[in-house]
Amino acid sequence: MKKADLSVNFCGVNFENPFCLSSSPVGNHAEMCSRAFDAGWGGIVYKTLNVDTSFKIVMPSPRLNAYHYNDKRFVGLQNAEQITDRTLDDNIMDIKELKRKYPSRVLISSIMGFSDSDWEILAKRSEDAGADMLELNFSCPQMARKDAGHRIGQDYNLVEHFTGVVKKHCSIPVMAKMTPNITDMIPVALAAKRGGADAIAAINTIRAITDIDIDQKVPMPTINHQSGITGFSGPAAKPIGLRFVSELYNSKDLALPISAIGGIETWVDALQYILLGGDTIQVTTAIMRYGYRIVEDMIEGLSDYMIDHGINSLSEIKGSAATKLIDPSNFDTRHQVVSVIDSEKCIGCGQCYISCQDGANQAIVFDTRLRKASVDETRCVGCTLCKHVCPVWDCISTRTVDTRNQSHAAIF
Amino acid sequence: MIRIIDKESICDFKSMHPSMSLRDAVCEAERCLLCEDAPCSKGCPAGTDPGKFIRQIKFKNIKGAARTIRNNNILGSTCAHICPTDKLCEMNCSAMKLEAPINISALQKFAIEYGRQNNLEKLESSSGSGKKVAVIGAGPAGLSTAYELAKKGHSIEIFEKEKMAGGVPAWNIPEFRLPADEIAQDIGKLRDLGVIIHTNQHINTLEEVDKLKSEFDALVVATGLNKAFGLNVFQDAENVTDYMTWLKKIKFSNSEMKTSVANKRIAVVGGGSVAVDCCVSAKALGAAKVYMISLEEGDDLPADKEEIRLAQRMNVIFKSSSMIKSIDMKDGKVSLLRGMEIAWKEPENFNPSNATEVEGTDFSIPVDYVVQAIGTKPDYYNLFSELKLGPKSCFVAEGDEKMWASSGCTFAVGDVVNGGATVVRAVGEGKKLAEHIDKFLARGEI
Ligand SMILES: Cc1cc2nc3c(=O)[nH]c(=O)nc-3n(C[C@H](O)[C@H](O)[C@H](O)COP(=O)(O)OP(=O)(O)OC[C@H]3O[C@@H](n4cnc5c(N)ncnc54)[C@H](O)[C@@H]3O)c2cc1C
Ligand SMILES: Cc1cc2nc3c(=O)[nH]c(=O)nc-3n(C[C@H](O)[C@H](O)[C@H](O)COP(=O)(O)O)c2cc1C
Ligand code: SF4
Repeated sequence: MKKADLSVNFCGVNFENPFCLSSSPVGNHAEMCSRAFDAGWGGIVYKTLNVDTSFKIVMPSPRLNAYHYNDKRFVGLQNAEQITDRTLDDNIMDIKELKRKYPSRVLISSIMGFSDSDWEILAKRSEDAGADMLELNFSCPQMARKDAGHRIGQDYNLVEHFTGVVKKHCSIPVMAKMTPNITDMIPVALAAKRGGADAIAAINTIRAITDIDIDQKVPMPTINHQSGITGFSGPAAKPIGLRFVSELYNSKDLALPISAIGGIETWVDALQYILLGGDTIQVTTAIMRYGYRIVEDMIEGLSDYMIDHGINSLSEIKGSAATKLIDPSNFDTRHQVVSVIDSEKCIGCGQCYISCQDGANQAIVFDTRLRKASVDETRCVGCTLCKHVCPVWDCISTRTVDTRNQSHAAIF
Repeated sequence: MIRIIDKESICDFKSMHPSMSLRDAVCEAERCLLCEDAPCSKGCPAGTDPGKFIRQIKFKNIKGAARTIRNNNILGSTCAHICPTDKLCEMNCSAMKLEAPINISALQKFAIEYGRQNNLEKLESSSGSGKKVAVIGAGPAGLSTAYELAKKGHSIEIFEKEKMAGGVPAWNIPEFRLPADEIAQDIGKLRDLGVIIHTNQHINTLEEVDKLKSEFDALVVATGLNKAFGLNVFQDAENVTDYMTWLKKIKFSNSEMKTSVANKRIAVVGGGSVAVDCCVSAKALGAAKVYMISLEEGDDLPADKEEIRLAQRMNVIFKSSSMIKSIDMKDGKVSLLRGMEIAWKEPENFNPSNATEVEGTDFSIPVDYVVQAIGTKPDYYNLFSELKLGPKSCFVAEGDEKMWASSGCTFAVGDVVNGGATVVRAVGEGKKLAEHIDKFLARGEI
């Protein structure tokens, strides 16, 4: 079997493939990380380090709640986890051990300090242990301290300052990991760049509430009768991650490589991030759910895609979808479509009719005798609501209307 | 496993297994629990690894799924059509404890079709080992052994007596269960690896066998079961045939058979899967009445439940717990079967000698054709006297796993050893034998 070259050069570091663990319990210690490397992951962002002598971390419990949508389980994950609760010495020993065992794989040390000296210690000790890169965690949304995590990530002066401190004390490349809990990520990313960051990682988890116990009247996860607004990740977070990554890529001022994160499970998800500007890919929730083994399918699937499409290097396609994003004020409104229902495939449920009737432009005719739906083209505004609610995957399609010589309900 | 019985396809002798759409496949794979220990994979005698290919489909690596099947099982497509999955991979599916087992055969079929449509690359043969192996018989066991040995870089030549490779699946399994193109596609993979298949090469004499032994480093006997049993009562009747001839004619002279069988009365003797194939095929040809006459009854019938359901759906008349006692002949043909119902003297012992006739149950059935499906045994065993002969003229298996027979550089595998099992088992045993021969050939080098 032919294999495509999946390698990426990211800040001068060579990754055998772009797939990495993101900083989280999936990269908690050396034994886990060894198994991840053995499974084929190209890089690991180790669980965020802490100077335990300056602040002792204790994890809350239970710390997880999953977001289920009807019978679909685990479309998202909420966690109230802190950064590492292991000692710095133990973690540094593990990083050394991993670099000894896997010298050609990339190990990135994620760090979070609570003072200049913390950041300095973490940077130096990581580099000395052999870490190939650093990732600065400016983005944990549930730190047990008020002056840390995403609160830094929301304050660009601190981001610039701490990045500067780290850069002063290390020679390896440095990534700044962004929080999505902010209206505009670009100013923060630019602050990291001013501080000397070599790359941006995005996104960390989104502050959210996934569920509420309606009998006890407490949100979940319920930690001794209380709860909190904490980090949300997984497939449901992907659209938000895609947005931020494309914005980072499209920022001309920023122009830094990007490590893309958020809801990635398959090679298709990863490819979508790459098409929006990602250089490397990071994953947590999918690994928590399915294990390290999923990387096999990411590697094989992406490799097949590259061979089938004649792509020699991922850099050839990086960002090619991001450049097609324009401001909604500039959309070409002369280009209009109408929906077309394949009456052979129509099972006659009438869902499209209800949706169009109450949520669009009353353009669907439902023949209750034949139990078939059809589109009244003089009323169809081409919103495609019907196409998306139809339970038959390929029943409703669209047809482009030439609005120069044909009327269209959206315009006339 | 037969899930939907599509009568129309059966009567047209077209595949009765509908293809899965991408949507259905994704939804089905989505149900898989991705068990840690993949009991489905453990249940596959050929090591096709459904646990892996279902996961690959679930993670949108469908071409990878096709690759897994192709690499692991030479007859992946054949197996997807005819494996009794409810007794194999699907038997221990964890999803069954929640709802229904994953429809593994349909997913297997889907992945293979996807691979074909998306130009799955051909297997590349590895560099030559310089060793040569001859295989007699191009049935599942021979093909599988050849495939694995070829993958390891050995030069393989297969000698097949018929004009086409494939063994029982190609010649006898009805078209509605296994379309000829599926096995042909499977066999195509061997040619990609440079395996030479000599058809119309009947190895029938000791001289021919000796010649193969002198020209090749190892000889694999995978000749299957070729001698059908018959009941003495039918001796020389013209309109009595065995299942092999019957099914072969239906497969390859379908329209002629339609003319001669339509509106006729057929009696099939036997209660196993093969008898069901004979009955259902006869019904599909348009026979007026088809009787399946067997000693066993109900749950004791050796045929699979699904197959019995199929026969019932095709309106086959079950003449169970019945024994043929005598026949009436007319113009050299059997015209009437006379029999009696039986009971078993001691339970669970379905040997004819354990049967007693039940008084007052005499019956007679007028027939136009009789098909005997009461078993087969190997032929040609006298050509390989170095191999140990066991009961029912099969070679005696050895080794820890008892998957093949061997003596010196002669090896035997498949139905000719296991006495008649399944395609997937023949494939699995062929794979294991290939590993063994590979080691054997390496030892020879030292
Ligand atoms: C009617 C029927 C239905 C079946 N249905 C199923 C099913 O649904 N699912 C399933 O899993 N299994 C099924 N089986 C069983 C399955 O077909 C066999 O277990 C399998 O084919 C055994 O493979 P084999 O290679 O050992 O033998 P065979 O398939 O018998 O192959 C032996 C080959 O050797 C050739 N040969 C024999 N002697 C010589 C010689 N002297 N020189 C050259 N060539 C020779 C033969 O022509 C043949 O091609 C069925 C069997 C029958 C008879
Ligand atoms: C349980 C859990 C713990 C996490 N811990 C950390 C952490 O210590 N440091 C960090 O930078 N990000 C942490 N994250 C965030 C992830 O690294 C990642 O940015 C986020 O989960 C989005 O990716 P995903 O959808 O693939 O999970 C954690 C996420 C989860 C679910
Ligand atoms: S046993 Fe069933 S649920 Fe488990 S891996 Fe196999 S197919 Fe999936």
